[in-house]
Amino acid sequence: MSEEKKEKKPGFFDNIKSVLYGMAGHDMARFALKTRGSMEHLFILITMGDLLGIPILPPYYSLRLLPYVVPQISTWKRRMLREKDLTDALA
Amino acid sequence: MSLRDVFEKNPDRRYIMFGGKGGLGKTTFSATTAYWLAKKGFKVLVFSVDPQASLSDIFQRDIFGKGPVEIMPNLYAQEIDADRRIKEYQNEIRHKIKDMYGLEEVPEEIESYIQATAAEPAMEESAIFDAVVDIVVGGEYDYYIYDLVPLGHALYYLSMASVYDEWISKITQLRQEMQEYSQVAAVMQRSKETEEDMILKELLYIKERINTSSGILTDKQKTAFFFVLIPEDMIIIDTQKAASLFAKFNVPLSGYIVNRVIPQELAQQDIPEYLRNRLEMQKKYLAKIDQTFGNEVLGWVHEFERDITGLQMIERLAEEIFGR
Repeated sequence: MSEEKKEKKPGFFDNIKSVLYGMAGHDMARFALKTRGSMEHLFILITMGDLLGIPILPPYYSLRLLPYVVPQISTWKRRMLREKDLTDALA
Repeated sequence: MSLRDVFEKNPDRRYIMFGGKGGLGKTTFSATTAYWLAKKGFKVLVFSVDPQASLSDIFQRDIFGKGPVEIMPNLYAQEIDADRRIKEYQNEIRHKIKDMYGLEEVPEEIESYIQATAAEPAMEESAIFDAVVDIVVGGEYDYYIYDLVPLGHALYYLSMASVYDEWISKITQLRQEMQEYSQVAAVMQRSKETEEDMILKELLYIKERINTSSGILTDKQKTAFFFVLIPEDMIIIDTQKAASLFAKFNVPLSGYIVNRVIPQELAQQDIPEYLRNRLEMQKKYLAKIDQTFGNEVLGWVHEFERDITGLQMIERLAEEIFGR
């Protein structure tokens, strides 16, 4: 988006776009991000499985990936080790 | 065909490996071949990936973990210190984590994981073969001679490499899918381009490393693999088994060398019963080797009166194997 456009007050079509995004796009974006989040956890499981005692990828190579997943490790562990109940299905 | 012919007729084969059970003379032949090639004017690196390496012993110099050491003009030898390499690698990872997130210390959980990896059995093999990739892609030498670890390790690594390769392809796929999802979300929210996925980049790098190291081991154009054996029943059987396993992994076998042959001329002399029996036994098994491996046997090397250490002995052996 160019700067000129940014400063302008949102026009009629911009408003329509936002409404449409709210109606359709937002849910899709949320779903895409949620799926991506689950995949991220799956990814950490198959590369860093050793952290839970499941050796999958050879450690020499998983070490190379470790720095990039450091922030996700704790949420991932919580998710993997948490007990599941019925309400999970609704989340 | 002799060992010399194999080298002269296949000048493209620049990765030379000797395999066989422990203690049959792999290091001896590696060193001798390196010596002969260096004398012919090629720049040669002979290196060991064995934690109990014996290149130091045969060249009578301590070269362990010191990088390539010049033994004589054109001849370099190197023994890889796997433990140190693993430690350096772990430190590298720690630094990276601290740098990336501006931390003073690596988080405890992560630290204990890093420490635990060193205890994994596959760690050492991976570290060693990764070191080999570093050495070989450098391309500074005409010939690279691998003083190979005992058969089991090499097979283990080869099978590991093919599994890893498949596995990493799968993970890479998953990672690519993940990127697609991020892009979808980004498009929906009309935000900027997603940032480059560093993990995907690392995965592709790992894949390339594994392919390079296992690729060298199985490249028919550039690699020659020799088996060392001695005229004894158990060794013949084991070598046959190993050879068929290696063939399964597409390792290009170039031939066999029979070591420790007692000179038959001794039979004409007055020798003790013990030696006569050994001679008889070897005669029997030499015939068996001839039957089993036929013209794939490239040379018979007689038992020397003393062990092969030092350049003088290596020179004598080189003359016996390759001729003057």
